[in-house]
Amino acid sequence: MAEGAIKLGGKKKKSTIMDMVKEILPDGGNLNACLTCGACSSGCPATGLEGMDARKFLRMAALGMDEEIMKSNWPWMCTMCQRCIYVCPMKIDIPQLIFNIRSRRPRDQRPKGIVASCDMAMKGETLSAMGTSVEDFQFVVEDVLGEYQEAQPEFADMEAPIDKKGAEFFLNQNSREPVTEPDEMVPLWKILHTAGVSWTYGSKAWAAENYCLFIADTENWKKMLHQQADMVHELGCKTYLNTE
Amino acid sequence: MISPKLVEVGRHNNIELITNSEVKGVDGEPGNFTVTLQNNPRYINPKKCTGCGDCAKRCPASAVNIINKGYNDRRATYIEYAQAVPLAFAIDMDACIGCGLCENVCLAKAISYSDKVKATEVTVGSMILAPGTKAYDPSQLDYLGYGKYPNVVTADGFERILSAGGPYFGHVMRPLDRQEPKSIAWLQCVGSRDTNRCGNGYCSSVCCMYATKEAMIAKEHIHGDLDCAIFNMDMRTFGKDYEKYFLRARDKAGVRFVKARVHTVTENRETGDLNVRYATDSGEMKEETFSMVVLSVGLTIPDTAVELAKRLNIDLDRYNFSKSEPFAPVETSRKGIYTCGVFQGPKDIPGSVTEACAAACLAGSELSGSRGKDIEVVQIPKQIDVTGQDPRIGVFVCNCGINIGGIVNVPAVQKYAESLPYVVFTDSNLFTCSQDTQEKIKEKIIEHKLNRVIVASCSPKTHEAMFMETLEACGLNRYLFEMANIRNQNSWIHSKSPELATQKAKDLVRMAVGRAATLYPMQEKRIPVNHRAMVIGGGIAGMNAALNLGKQNFEVVLIEKEPELGGFARKLHHTIEGGDIQEYIRKLSAEVMANDKVEVLLDTEVTGFGGYKGNFKTDVAVGKGRETRNIEHGVIVVATGAVEYKPKEYGYGESDKIITQVELGDLLEGKGAKDLETVVMIQCVGSRNESMQECSRICCQNAVKNALVIKKQNPDTQVFILYRDIRTYGLMEDYYKEARGLGVIFMRFNSDDPPEVKVEGDHISVITTDHVLQQKVEILADLLTLSAGMRPSDTKKLSGIMKLNSNQEGYYMEAHVKLRPVDMPGEGIFLCGTAHGPKLITETISQAQAAASRAVTFLAKPEIKLSAITAKVDTQHCVKCLTCLRTCPFNVPAFNTETKVIAIDEAMCHGCGACAGACPRQTIQLGFYNDEQITCKIDALLAGGM
Ligand SMILES: Cc1cc2nc3c(=O)[nH]c(=O)nc-3n(C[C@H](O)[C@H](O)[C@H](O)COP(=O)(O)OP(=O)(O)OC[C@H]3O[C@@H](n4cnc5c(N)ncnc54)[C@H](O)[C@@H]3O)c2cc1C
Ligand code: SF4
Ligand code: SF4
Ligand code: SF4
Ligand code: SF4
Repeated sequence: MAEGAIKLGGKKKKSTIMDMVKEILPDGGNLNACLTCGACSSGCPATGLEGMDARKFLRMAALGMDEEIMKSNWPWMCTMCQRCIYVCPMKIDIPQLIFNIRSRRPRDQRPKGIVASCDMAMKGETLSAMGTSVEDFQFVVEDVLGEYQEAQPEFADMEAPIDKKGAEFFLNQNSREPVTEPDEMVPLWKILHTAGVSWTYGSKAWAAENYCLFIADTENWKKMLHQQADMVHELGCKTYLNTE
Repeated sequence: MISPKLVEVGRHNNIELITNSEVKGVDGEPGNFTVTLQNNPRYINPKKCTGCGDCAKRCPASAVNIINKGYNDRRATYIEYAQAVPLAFAIDMDACIGCGLCENVCLAKAISYSDKVKATEVTVGSMILAPGTKAYDPSQLDYLGYGKYPNVVTADGFERILSAGGPYFGHVMRPLDRQEPKSIAWLQCVGSRDTNRCGNGYCSSVCCMYATKEAMIAKEHIHGDLDCAIFNMDMRTFGKDYEKYFLRARDKAGVRFVKARVHTVTENRETGDLNVRYATDSGEMKEETFSMVVLSVGLTIPDTAVELAKRLNIDLDRYNFSKSEPFAPVETSRKGIYTCGVFQGPKDIPGSVTEACAAACLAGSELSGSRGKDIEVVQIPKQIDVTGQDPRIGVFVCNCGINIGGIVNVPAVQKYAESLPYVVFTDSNLFTCSQDTQEKIKEKIIEHKLNRVIVASCSPKTHEAMFMETLEACGLNRYLFEMANIRNQNSWIHSKSPELATQKAKDLVRMAVGRAATLYPMQEKRIPVNHRAMVIGGGIAGMNAALNLGKQNFEVVLIEKEPELGGFARKLHHTIEGGDIQEYIRKLSAEVMANDKVEVLLDTEVTGFGGYKGNFKTDVAVGKGRETRNIEHGVIVVATGAVEYKPKEYGYGESDKIITQVELGDLLEGKGAKDLETVVMIQCVGSRNESMQECSRICCQNAVKNALVIKKQNPDTQVFILYRDIRTYGLMEDYYKEARGLGVIFMRFNSDDPPEVKVEGDHISVITTDHVLQQKVEILADLLTLSAGMRPSDTKKLSGIMKLNSNQEGYYMEAHVKLRPVDMPGEGIFLCGTAHGPKLITETISQAQAAASRAVTFLAKPEIKLSAITAKVDTQHCVKCLTCLRTCPFNVPAFNTETKVIAIDEAMCHGCGACAGACPRQTIQLGFYNDEQITCKIDALLAGGM
């Protein structure tokens, strides 16, 4: 007996996490096809964190090490950047595997900060993870716009409309700017103004950040999307411009 | 290496070369095809062009040199590479500026600006498609930086950099700054084994080996330390003797083989160096900097070949290789059209050459009824008797355009030649090798009654045979000819000192005259060829060889030591593609038995052997009664095959739950996989180790094949394959992928940390280390399958009797790995199947057809000429020291125990002269190169007063 060895063989386990994830993904995410070449780990920003990397993680899934997988914090370190699948010779959908494993953790055991941000977003109408209210957002936008119109005469007729019906573009906005760095909003306004396009913020569902996605809370993620879509439809905008 | 083949093809009487042309369509049927061609203009008539290159020297227009991957330029008048056949220039009209300079300088009047596209037709009986391959273009893989960073090159580009004829004349430099690299990284599987970015799911089969070779050559070219690292997933060095080469590269030359696939290559803008980051096996990030990165690009089928196949109605597979059946590898979907080389599937040079011979075999058997028609036979007049005549020497000095004439004072050399003893005629020519000069030489021989001829020009290596034919064509014995090489060994190297070069040319001519006077006619013995073939071994190889020879109307005796035909394949069930092996050998042996030209002798072994090429005499003991028969035959095909290794390792024999891959094949065919819970397979059992260095080639695909059968019969059976490198080369990579897809787990182990096997009750415990997790793994299996390798059949006895050479592993040796892959060193002896080395049935079949094809070239001749250049012993003065026996590489000299003298059989002597040089008593003389004929040259040289 090899002490501490991974035990394999015997009767096939009923169904592993990997089997279940494969069911959901188109072509099973190619999850079985791994050549163990390491191209994914060679390019992944999370390689080495917690002694783990993408190839190892996939391998544990393939060997049916479900317990270890569920215990590992590594999935929460993936940035969903897709660098792995970009070069993987087998087009293995590691980000999707990771997402689906995140979603299998009980909600109260997912990273606290992100869960709290998702909860906060779901509380208000703005979807802001920082809890920014409709009024606060309106106030900051108008205030900053006024300042710039005054200080920079060439932008005297620049607009930052909220709830403008029939605008071409519906622009979303990460809450960090209106709350902590309001000036950062302005450059994009200027570009849109110079380009002469018709755009608008929404008073509701304007927040661009989506922490529910990051904790794989699909329910709330879906809810958020619906609220955003409803707002866009309400205003009759043609295009939703995501700035995240 | 390719050069002699090119020359042979270029000069062959019965090969018509039609260059710069495309096949537009094919009508008709096997035996009678009409092929429509489009002949594109070359603007330089290849019949007139002498290849002197004067046009290119003057041409002011430059163009990118595509063959050198654009690393240098060429002229608008150009030749692709120095050895090209025909050695004739062409004009690249896209680059030509129409200045007319080349027309002015061409002394051969070969330029013709008004050439047009033409349509022509040829009629043929069968066709062979060999449109070959194009290296994968990696520009679309943005993360590797090809096309963006100059020091990232493709492997074919690097080949040019290594080549003496390449852009940097063989000096290894990197393109950016022409600096010698300090370190080079090769990235494997670029454009192969990748279904994501390029869709080429197959393995290109050749890149692991070529990368290793490139690293070795680069290390040789760069004196000092060059760090070479090859980043790979699996090293696929599965060919004959390839594993030894790989080990030499790794252990002796210090080439690093890194198991990793690099994600991105980035450039250091200041130095042009390249940064490569990769995760090691243990998941640790490493960063290394290299002076150059070489992308080991795969083989692909060019669009032009795909279009050609469409025009010809040939089916292609999903990767655009020609579709073929496992038991008919070189046949295309259209009858009468055959294929070979990479168009058939990814493969290396020996495989391509073998398949080429196989395609020729099938194309030829289709036409065997009309053999001898439509060919040109050279008529040779009766020889002029020169005995008793004083030497009358004619000297022809060549200008070789300006190659010689531009440096050497040719008229002065000619004049000097006139003054030498026995010289009765001299001449000089612009091109002595041109067709019209041959006519002139013949006239002069007759007019001046010349009985010795000297050509002072280029190398005898390329031209001697041709001039000798000119002599023969007017009745002069071919051995009354001598050459002085005043170009390669003189004008080319002394181009800066014309006067000294002229002096040296005179010296060389004087030496040639000295030797010419000592030459005498020699007669080549002609011996009849016995038109019967003997094939030894009745496996798939032997049966295919015999059957193809029989179909071409040659008598064959097929000898099989077992009471049954079929060989090892009787133990196999299906090929990985699903071909039914049992049915195939049943059909094949029935066909062999039914062919009235093939006599099958079962239960028969070779007991004695004698004779020589074209006239062998072999004793065999036939049947249970061991009845002796003496068989006379002209050629031999050796096809004695191989068997499965009987493992000594991993507890084989201790439990009926430990079996070999072939035994598993039986089990799956019979009982099936329904009762199996977990199967572990261990690769490289009895291969790639100290006692058998080579890879057995068949066992990785065998494991994958059986794993697939298991998974398809019972998806719940868990299968683990413990391997060192998975070598599912070529299109078999698809099956490896399929096996992974079905959940087979592949675990790599190191040869120094092999799996541990323990029998535990009715289970087998296998302990190994998972290469990804770097953790110990214990697998509880109800069946352990060992991928036992191959061993050549016990061939010691046969090779002792027939004097056949084998390599360290016991596989028979071919004459030349690339040029003559199915010939054995002794003439008239051919080789095929696993007796030559491990290979699959498909490969065995094409090799057997190739051997038959080579045998036919021998059997089709009514008689063969033996070279007159052979060694002769002066038995009077021989002291019987036996030095010659020990020296001859072909074991020809023999001590005759009855007459007590050394005998050298002229039919067997290769004329290498090794014995003549070694004999301490100088009692061996080599015809055409006897001692006097060599020393007189030295005397003549010294007589000039050095
Ligand atoms: C373990 C193993 C697994 C394989 N698996 C596969 C596979 O899955 N798929 C595949 O395509 N190929 C496979 N092969 C390869 C396949 O078996 C060979 O390519 C093919 O059978 C070779 O045919 P052959 O005629 O060259 O040799 P053999 O089949 O070995 O035939 C040689 C014959 O010569 C006879 N012979 C030997 N010496 C003498 C002598 N002195 N005088 C007279 N007769 C003699 C032998 O009795 C035998 O009948 C495998 C081979 C091995 C060893
Ligand atoms: S890149 Fe793809 S094939 Fe390679 S190890 Fe990662 S997941 Fe496996
Ligand atoms: S998507 Fe995740 S696993 Fe893939 S490379 Fe990015 S961080 Fe790594
Ligand atoms: S594994 Fe195959 S495709 Fe990859 S480099 Fe080696 S030979 Fe080429
Ligand atoms: S198992 Fe066989 S084919 Fe595979 S690497 Fe080992 S010896 Fe070669």
